[in-house]
Amino acid sequence: MRKSLSLFRLAAIWEAFRVATASLRANKLRTALTLIGIIVGVTAVIAVVTIIKGLDQTVAQTFSSQGSTVFTVSKNPQIIKSREEFIKSNRRKDVTHEDAEAISRTCTACWRVGIAANAVETVKYNDQKAENVRIRGVDPITMFDIDGVSINVGRIWTDSEGASGREICVIGPDMLKNLFNDAPADRAVGQEIRIDGRPYLVLGVLEPLGSIFGFSRDNVVYIPYSTYQKAYGGRRSLVVFVQVHNTDQLESAEDQVRTVMRNRRGHLTEDTDDEGFALETQDVFLNLYSSATSNIKWVTVGVAGISLIVGGIVVMNIMLVSVTERTKEIGIRKAIGARRKDIMTQFLIEAVTVAALGGAIGVGTGFGLAYLISALIGFPLLVNVMSAVLGVAMSSGVGIISGLWPAWRAAKLDPIEALRSE
Amino acid sequence: MSDATLTLTPPESVITPRAEVNGHDPKMLISMRNIWKTYQMGTEAVHALHGVSFDIPRGEYIAIIGPSGSGKSTLMNLIGCLDTATQGEYWLNGKNVSDMDDDELARIRNQEVGFVFQTFNLLARATALHNVELPLIYGGVGASQRHEMAKQALHSVDLAERMTHKPNELSGGQRQRVAIARALVNHPSILLADEPTGALDSHTSMEIMDLFERLHSEGNTIIVVTHEHDIAERAHRVISIRDGQIEKDERIR
Repeated sequence: MRKSLSLFRLAAIWEAFRVATASLRANKLRTALTLIGIIVGVTAVIAVVTIIKGLDQTVAQTFSSQGSTVFTVSKNPQIIKSREEFIKSNRRKDVTHEDAEAISRTCTACWRVGIAANAVETVKYNDQKAENVRIRGVDPITMFDIDGVSINVGRIWTDSEGASGREICVIGPDMLKNLFNDAPADRAVGQEIRIDGRPYLVLGVLEPLGSIFGFSRDNVVYIPYSTYQKAYGGRRSLVVFVQVHNTDQLESAEDQVRTVMRNRRGHLTEDTDDEGFALETQDVFLNLYSSATSNIKWVTVGVAGISLIVGGIVVMNIMLVSVTERTKEIGIRKAIGARRKDIMTQFLIEAVTVAALGGAIGVGTGFGLAYLISALIGFPLLVNVMSAVLGVAMSSGVGIISGLWPAWRAAKLDPIEALRSE
Repeated sequence: MSDATLTLTPPESVITPRAEVNGHDPKMLISMRNIWKTYQMGTEAVHALHGVSFDIPRGEYIAIIGPSGSGKSTLMNLIGCLDTATQGEYWLNGKNVSDMDDDELARIRNQEVGFVFQTFNLLARATALHNVELPLIYGGVGASQRHEMAKQALHSVDLAERMTHKPNELSGGQRQRVAIARALVNHPSILLADEPTGALDSHTSMEIMDLFERLHSEGNTIIVVTHEHDIAERAHRVISIRDGQIEKDERIR
């Protein structure tokens, strides 16, 4: 007549679930308030996590547009983390055109080698003006490929044009907007713009790259390095860009470039610890991003987590009320044979049911909120099944934890006392 | 309490308290041996029961009667395994329940005891059928068998047509019959009723007592705890409790 123990547990758990849902239905207002507590918490966590993931993805994509096959050699690191580093790197010799040539000559693992130098200028066309435009002097023209930019309309200068020092340029799409009143790109080709008062002939317009953190990557004018040198002088340090065919060769290329540069710097560095140059991959940006935002991320997730804890406290509160209200029922159940764990299970399941339901709704509203925010800021929404599962699991966990104490109080009630209560 | 209202047969030697005998009689369904129940009220120890001993054979219909404060509720809680004695031995259906823990007692209550309460103590939100199924759920009976047994129990108290009704849709007498069905559904060793007619009018009370009589004739062991003499009179044996001791233990039928 008596079935197995596992079947007994199943029946008791199903009974507990029935009782839990009936009780939740019977106290609709209370259930709604409890749900809101959990929903707010889970919404906050899901929204924050989703937005952070979207942000990470955007940043990773942006910095990797140049590709993980590119590294740079420069005097000053691209990101200077301390005053000491700044002073140290400023004492170094400039990285020159000759360094780039030496690398190009000796580095067998290197595919493309180019140089680039930047200035920031105001650019004018007739009475139109664009400020804080990045002027990028590059050589050779494979630097366009290394930079990951491509021509939209018009053309890039030829090698001989590039070596000639002529005032020619290729403009970023922002120039169309700021100088040519959003005219079609072919209208700009053949026009003459003025950079720092000098006239430049527009040969082509680049494909847009978009912006990151509100900084446009299209607010740029490319000019040949020879022209750049003429306009801004040859004394400035430049950056050597090295690209390899694929990432497998990155390490050996870096080693070769290091050897070349060490030989060229040799004993000229006073500071023996210092190589005399900075060799960096694009990872430096990602690393900087990660280190700069990791604390913020944890704080944000933590703050969102606190709201989940508050939700848990709401559940605990409601469960305590529920236990008090149903003391008589607990007494009846105990009198007819419910054991401590049966009562415990009943109230735990009630807590978990409401918390998991709140969690499921919270996951939905969390993604909704993340969608709204990402649509406003303009980066991709990454709806992650994992975080949805995690959201529900987490809220269920909160339900268990906050249900434990009330359930334990219910389970240890004395049946005689409980039966006597009204 | 006046003895004049009761027509009792003289205490014969058929069943005599055997307070001094150690151990239990294996023929007896219930054996209580020198049971003490002491409550600590501040610094003072209050003895609700002092040295109660009796035996109940299987199939008996017995009433425990006594005024409030006599200790009869305490005795009922002990018989029903809702509580344990401070001292003494209690054997129920061959099991020594004196030293059992909470969960073991819960198991005994589920298997051996069917409770009928004065205020019915049904679950308000559950149907009659579900109320009757409840002991089977905690007893681990599978769903289909559970339904069958619960229906049968409701049928045996003439409530087969009211299965899907909730307690608030039933009359007092019907509610008490649901409670009796719940008590009987697991085929317990004893049916333990605490003032079963206390919340019912006299006509319904008689119906319930008739039902008890019928259940007894079908072989059930019934213990009714009451302070009403006309209810106690329906039993075949009456144990009178006063001041925590057995005052009288008489076979009346």
